[in-house]
Amino acid sequence: MSAVLEVSNLRKSFGGITAVNDVSFDVREGEILGIIGPNGSGKSTLFNCVLGQLLPNAGEVRVDGKPTTGMRPCDLNRLGVSRTFQLLQVFPQLSVRDNLILAGQEHRGSMLSRLFGKSDAGLGDAARKMIDFFQLSHLADEQAGALSYGQQKLLDAAMAFMAGSRLVLLDEPAGGVNLTMLAHLRERLRAYHAERRATFVVIEHQMEFVMALCTRVLVLAEGRIIAQGAPQDIRRDPAVIEAYLGGQSA
Amino acid sequence: MNRLGAIALGAAAILAIVAPFFLRRYGIYLISMWAVLTIAAIGLNLTLGYAGQVSLAQGAFVGIGAYTVALLTQAGWPYPAAFVCAGALCFAIGWLLGYPALRVQHHYLAFVTLAFTTLVFLVLRNEEWLTNGIYGITGTERPVLFGWSTGSALDFYFFCLGMLAVMAAATWWMLRSPWGRAFLALRENPLRALSLGLDTRRYTLMAFAIGSSLGGMAGALYAPLVQFIEPNSFGLGMSFNLLLMVIVGGSGYFFGPFIGALVAVLLPEWTRFTEGYYLLLYAALVMALMAFCPSGLLGLIERVSKVMTRRAPPPSELRSEGTNP
Repeated sequence: MSAVLEVSNLRKSFGGITAVNDVSFDVREGEILGIIGPNGSGKSTLFNCVLGQLLPNAGEVRVDGKPTTGMRPCDLNRLGVSRTFQLLQVFPQLSVRDNLILAGQEHRGSMLSRLFGKSDAGLGDAARKMIDFFQLSHLADEQAGALSYGQQKLLDAAMAFMAGSRLVLLDEPAGGVNLTMLAHLRERLRAYHAERRATFVVIEHQMEFVMALCTRVLVLAEGRIIAQGAPQDIRRDPAVIEAYLGGQSA
Repeated sequence: MNRLGAIALGAAAILAIVAPFFLRRYGIYLISMWAVLTIAAIGLNLTLGYAGQVSLAQGAFVGIGAYTVALLTQAGWPYPAAFVCAGALCFAIGWLLGYPALRVQHHYLAFVTLAFTTLVFLVLRNEEWLTNGIYGITGTERPVLFGWSTGSALDFYFFCLGMLAVMAAATWWMLRSPWGRAFLALRENPLRALSLGLDTRRYTLMAFAIGSSLGGMAGALYAPLVQFIEPNSFGLGMSFNLLLMVIVGGSGYFFGPFIGALVAVLLPEWTRFTEGYYLLLYAALVMALMAFCPSGLLGLIERVSKVMTRRAPPPSELRSEGTNP
């Protein structure tokens, strides 16, 4: 399988602190890669460098073999790369349906044609299907801000998939979500992956979520990769246990 | 729009058509001014209320539009061509003024646009060869359109009202398009908007340009309405007044500028019975309104309507999965 995302020797410093230090990895098509690590290990900085939110000091990022280092997030999105953020980022004043249409509308025609085109940019059906898929049908016309935290997390993830992106980077999708909703979210992500063969990269602290969802796990500590491999191997890796679990076996 | 809203809109439209027949010349002048300033406020509401870009430059764009029409019509241009030029010029200048908004936001952006207003004022005052300086420009003719002379106060009011209807309909249509959703996203969360593929740069510039263009077209109506324009009319006072209209009516509400302009134009007149104290009373009323209703009059109406419908059940949770987060 070809690599959808290639990260080579990426480095990002803030003053004297190197948040991401010479990180290299790739993500193959259809893979669900988990990135774990203690707080401050550089996971979100790595995401932000990959997604054009931060400009790395060194290194290169390629999507489908095309150099994308420093590319604007909106241009990356049009290349088929979507993301969610660590903190909830839905648009609270828009309805669930409008949040989803917004998430896909910039992929429809030119800016001018959208002005003269349909109000829903021709995405009404696609939005309905996504709402059904994430089982939010009864909330379709509610303002996103009126939804519970867990439902907003589902909507946040659904928005990342709305443009039909090939590569989706999820930053702590399970953060702050209760166990019941977590199972629901994991099941929806798995179903989407099975249906579309999309490629995921998931940052997460919730170990059970990562171990159950991901096909490969990469562990960061102090800005460096200290281990990568299958979830069951990562559980047993002494370096991971030392760095991530504080020296106690899982 | 719900049924009650549609009835209110219909009643307001009928009132706007019928009212001038019961008013004297000054009253017609005032409601004409309301129509003109509402167009400028709709533009500012687009820039500020929908796209979230603070601007204290709308008065300057009204001035640019007014001077463009005054100068071009005196040079022999037909009014419609001068009107289009005023809108196009303000669109271009507004686009350029949007560039600072790509770098700074909020009160910093307010100061950038405030400086622009001062710059425009100084150009209008000092460049006498073009603008006639402090002496201003008099006698901008009211247009004759397809044989219809708008020379009388009543005819010109209906011309202004028609232009308001056209501008409002165009803005409504734009806000209902994907652009409206994009402007809201720009205001609510530009970072997330960018990650969803929205070219926030272009939408920011577009919000400034279209809002400014509406200001310019309002100016193009202002010049033949007052028939005497001079630099002081387009200083910071007008920009603040337009901002007041947007905020008082309800920033980000489509009909906010209509109500805000009504308050700003008519309230000082209604409080004239207090003679020397009317501006003090007007200021106190505005302060009270802002203190108790910062989301404007339409925000207040929305709050009241929510209180009245509070009995409605809240959105239910995910029932199909038996989840209850």
